[in-house]
Amino acid sequence: MSTYTIPVGPLHVALEEPMYFKVELNGETVSSVEITAGHVHRGIEYLATKRTLFQDITLVERICSLCSNSHPEVYCMAVEQIAGVTLPPRGEYLRVIADEIKRVSSHLFNVAILAHLIGFDSLFMHVMETREIMQDIKETLFGNRMDIAVNCIGGVRYDLDADAIAFLTAQLDRVEAALGEIADLYRNNNSIRLRTRGVGVLSQADAVEFGVVGPVARASGIAYDVRVKAPYAAYDKLDVAVHTETDGDVWARAMVRFKEMATALGLIRQAVAALPDTPIAFFSHERPTIPAGEAVAKCEAPRGELIYYVRTDGSTKPERVKWRVPSLLNWEALRVMMVGAKVADIALIVNSIDPCISCTER
Amino acid sequence: MSILPDDLESRLRAAAPGGITLTSRTDSKGVTTLWCMLADSRDLRGAAALAKALGARLSTITALQPKPPKGAPEAVPGASAGPVIDGKLHEIAYHFDLDGDTLTVLVLLPQDDAEIESLTPLFRNADWTEREFMETYAIRVVGHPNPQRLFVDESIDPAVLERLIPFSALVNAASSKSLWEQIMLRKGAKA
Repeated sequence: MSTYTIPVGPLHVALEEPMYFKVELNGETVSSVEITAGHVHRGIEYLATKRTLFQDITLVERICSLCSNSHPEVYCMAVEQIAGVTLPPRGEYLRVIADEIKRVSSHLFNVAILAHLIGFDSLFMHVMETREIMQDIKETLFGNRMDIAVNCIGGVRYDLDADAIAFLTAQLDRVEAALGEIADLYRNNNSIRLRTRGVGVLSQADAVEFGVVGPVARASGIAYDVRVKAPYAAYDKLDVAVHTETDGDVWARAMVRFKEMATALGLIRQAVAALPDTPIAFFSHERPTIPAGEAVAKCEAPRGELIYYVRTDGSTKPERVKWRVPSLLNWEALRVMMVGAKVADIALIVNSIDPCISCTER
Repeated sequence: MSILPDDLESRLRAAAPGGITLTSRTDSKGVTTLWCMLADSRDLRGAAALAKALGARLSTITALQPKPPKGAPEAVPGASAGPVIDGKLHEIAYHFDLDGDTLTVLVLLPQDDAEIESLTPLFRNADWTEREFMETYAIRVVGHPNPQRLFVDESIDPAVLERLIPFSALVNAASSKSLWEQIMLRKGAKA
């Protein structure tokens, strides 16, 4: 059988973001993969040291649109540690609500693209229509559909009144009903199962070896979720279920995302019901002085563990801000997932790690 | 819930014979962050091997050049070789996740010879993060199995964070001048 080398990407592999794969083929079966990054590197870590600690909240929210709430949240958590600031309880719960709304949106987008890639475009439209409800929630509650700007050092910048809560819970009912129907389709529809089961398998041993995180790790049987392992915001007061699968294939990763969406909707309801009556932030208007120090903070972004390291020197600008996004670890695992796959499945496998290139390249 | 052993400090001391400075803090939710400065950067492999034996996952690595304190450069307490924080010195922080808790192992690299052993043979996912700081700082990583460029193009000299590079050159945004010319044209001025 003849061997070929084909370029996949950099443009439009699964999403409209550039990543280049040099794929070695044996017939139409993948034998090895080389990944080349760097097409849209923006030097944001450098920029972060040129802005003030407060301007950086706005900057890091723009690293990535799908996990745009996770970046400023963890950044603020790190600065809050340095400043010795604790959040008022209401601020903690409001952070959870914003986080979980973003998680549902993000996961819905990923499973929608899965349907698109296997040519099931009516399902793609259906999922995106459901995601539109989540987008409307964000637009109504936060005034924006992607970068929702809810975090500040010491708390949040939004509050929910009775009207907002009534609107939110009514919309959650709509999403929940649609989600049940969609999840059933992904679980049982033969076209989806044939294209996704046993495809792009990552064993538990390989998942540990590559240090993958988030739904990719949990679909390979690793029960690690930052919300439980290193609780932050109000997650220590809520009941967070961690979902795992054992097959480690494209289908298992989609199943984990569906279960997490159901849990996320439940978490929003739990948080809304328990919303304490306190201020929403530690500071009302003044900007605190941030002393010299260093801190590590992490959260469970939609794609997995997002970790920030911040070092300050007592001036208004940080000395160093470093973050590692979940995708950065998950890319390399594609080298295992893709071996033995057919050419037609490459885009599907790439999408199954829910890759974020704007996060990866910063 | 924590998998941190009670005798962590003595085990770290055994793994790093050059000496360590260990501090830790636990937040109100019970999450512990530990900071372990190694006096000798050659002890890194031993400390990392201990972390691996404890079941750690390497979360990420931060390289930086700490700014000198205001006034004269001063010696770093606890560092026997006596590196001086002069703004050129390199520091690397290795962040290990221990089932939710974080152990950060810090090393200061020798002033004139910024070299560190690769952890990729031990933690496969160190591959990308080490390649990233190899191209952004003038740090040599010894024993990396795949020392290719990660993000920065081959045509650009290394250590991009240590040099002043026009932003437009770094991001290849050569269009900025023509955009400006168009704006000036539209305003009726000479481009």
